[in-house]
Amino acid sequence: MEILGNLATGFYVALTPANLLYCFLGSFIGTAIGVLPGLGPPATIALLLPVTYGLPATSAVILLAGIFYGAMYGGSTTSILLNIPGEAASVVTCLDGYQMARQGKAGAALAISAFGSFIAGTLAIVGLMVLAPPLASFALKFGPAENFALLALGLTMVGYLAGASLTKGLMMAGLGLLLGTVGLDPIMGTQRFTYGFFKLSEGFDFILVAMGLFGIGEVLANVEQTITADVFQTKIRGLLPSREEWRQSAAPIARGSLLGFFIGVLPGGGAIISSFISYAVEKKFSRHPERFGKGAIEGVAAPESANNSAATSSFVPLLTLGIPGNASIAMIFAALLIHGIRPGPLLVAEKPEVFWGLVASMYIGNIMLLVLNLPLIGLWVKLLKVPYPLLAPLILVFVLIGSYSVNNSSFDVGVTIAFGLLGYLLRKFDFEPAPLVLAMILGPQLEASLRRSLIYSRGDLMVFFERPIAAALLALAVLMLLSPLFRNLLSRRFWRFVAPESERRDKPDAGSI
Amino acid sequence: MARRDTTVAALALGFGAVAAYESAKLPFGTVHSPGPGFFPWWTSVLIVALASIFFAQTLTTHARGEPESGRRITKVLALLAVLALYTFSLEPLGYPLCTFLLVLFMLRVTDPQRWPVALGMAALTAAGSYIVFAVWLSVPLPRGPL
Repeated sequence: MEILGNLATGFYVALTPANLLYCFLGSFIGTAIGVLPGLGPPATIALLLPVTYGLPATSAVILLAGIFYGAMYGGSTTSILLNIPGEAASVVTCLDGYQMARQGKAGAALAISAFGSFIAGTLAIVGLMVLAPPLASFALKFGPAENFALLALGLTMVGYLAGASLTKGLMMAGLGLLLGTVGLDPIMGTQRFTYGFFKLSEGFDFILVAMGLFGIGEVLANVEQTITADVFQTKIRGLLPSREEWRQSAAPIARGSLLGFFIGVLPGGGAIISSFISYAVEKKFSRHPERFGKGAIEGVAAPESANNSAATSSFVPLLTLGIPGNASIAMIFAALLIHGIRPGPLLVAEKPEVFWGLVASMYIGNIMLLVLNLPLIGLWVKLLKVPYPLLAPLILVFVLIGSYSVNNSSFDVGVTIAFGLLGYLLRKFDFEPAPLVLAMILGPQLEASLRRSLIYSRGDLMVFFERPIAAALLALAVLMLLSPLFRNLLSRRFWRFVAPESERRDKPDAGSI
Repeated sequence: MARRDTTVAALALGFGAVAAYESAKLPFGTVHSPGPGFFPWWTSVLIVALASIFFAQTLTTHARGEPESGRRITKVLALLAVLALYTFSLEPLGYPLCTFLLVLFMLRVTDPQRWPVALGMAALTAAGSYIVFAVWLSVPLPRGPL
């Protein structure tokens, strides 16, 4: 009953005309950037962060969250119609979605992806609502040792799950931790690595870092590649799936929602991995696995449900433990900090209007997305026809304005461009930038909890092993570090299973992160 | 590919070593009371260790041929140079002029479009974004002499 009362408060907040407008804008912008290859949600959220400075905290987070889950809806459109995923989380949708479009079933593919996303998104909100408050209460018992262990596990998971190589992921996390130490020391206030630059004494602003890595880095990478969007010429008929298609999709949507929710809760898990795993699971469950890759509707329904469910559930670690699990959520973490709200166990109790307002806005946003996506398919297809060379300068200009507006300083523009160069190089050398940003955000907390634990225990390292929660979390992190061989084997098996060599020749690449 | 990764691993190794050297200049403290240099030093050691593992991995990986497109890399470098110039010229020349020139460069050099399209887009982007952000949203973008 308490949940229902809280939810009513949430709807009271989310249904104000201003918040409804921000929810709509977020969903709309999210769908648009999901449709467009070459600009991902982290960059867009980073770009719009300065615009939210003047908004109340709840409105800001409603707008930015809408962009994140809206992008998951939009990402499938390009996968189905172009064989180019607008979002990395929709890569696997290309395998069957594009085949369905070629067979004249683009309408059914788009519709089942939208309905699946809606159902999964809604179920995940229920999960978030039920799971978050007790998890937050549990996390209130954490001391510095548990916090250190939790953050260490979170960072290990991000490094482990974010890219193809654990070593590279952890190297990025290490670089992020080091960049996070630039500025004032969190305990003694000593200047570190500022080299006489006064502006660095507050450290690198991670909004600038994110805009550079994800915005400018993406544009530079695309300048090198040249994106060409060749929309598959097909008439989109019958947007409602047939009864048979519904029957085939029901169980995959349910399984995808469940899998997506649990994978999304893990730091570093998120939408991308959940979509791949749910596809593999469906292929395994199917009586006719040979249909997969040739236009099986289950191959669209399951991953699209999973990525939406995961996008929603990735708010759980943010709102309860203060751990952003992926780059987009990290930007929402930044937005909350800017508005003086520290995401973590106290959020649900101290700022119920933010937590429950966000939850309620997700219900509303999901309905808006369903209404937006199906009738506006024609508009999204038209948007795809805008050539990328005309879009790239616009993206760049938005990033430059965004970085300037953080402190009204051209020094910040220079910092953003420098991180843009880093982002470009990282992409070029197959390093994933997300662990860097997350480590940079979590680094100061990790350092403070490590140093406090050591000070309280008078330098006794056993403090991390004598407390059961800390010990369990660290043991999990160590297990993860010791399992790369096992993981490589699984990954190879996974790709062999999902798409045998013959089908993989034109395997789509992720358009954006 | 493997040689490229080896170079990256060597660079990361060097970066970690420099970071450890710089961290060592900060007060390290003791394990009872860690100082400001404690965490950066251990993080640098972690980077060195990981870079060494990566270096070893690249030596055992077979090279995969992946030809580089030299022409496009030149375009990336040129765009980076123009962006650097943009940063330094933003205050003296102002946002509208700098942005006009940046967009014009992108539409004539990075991905060449016809002159009327390039000029029109550059003018529209510079003026439109200035009106939206500086006039409507009150972002104090530098006006410059114009």
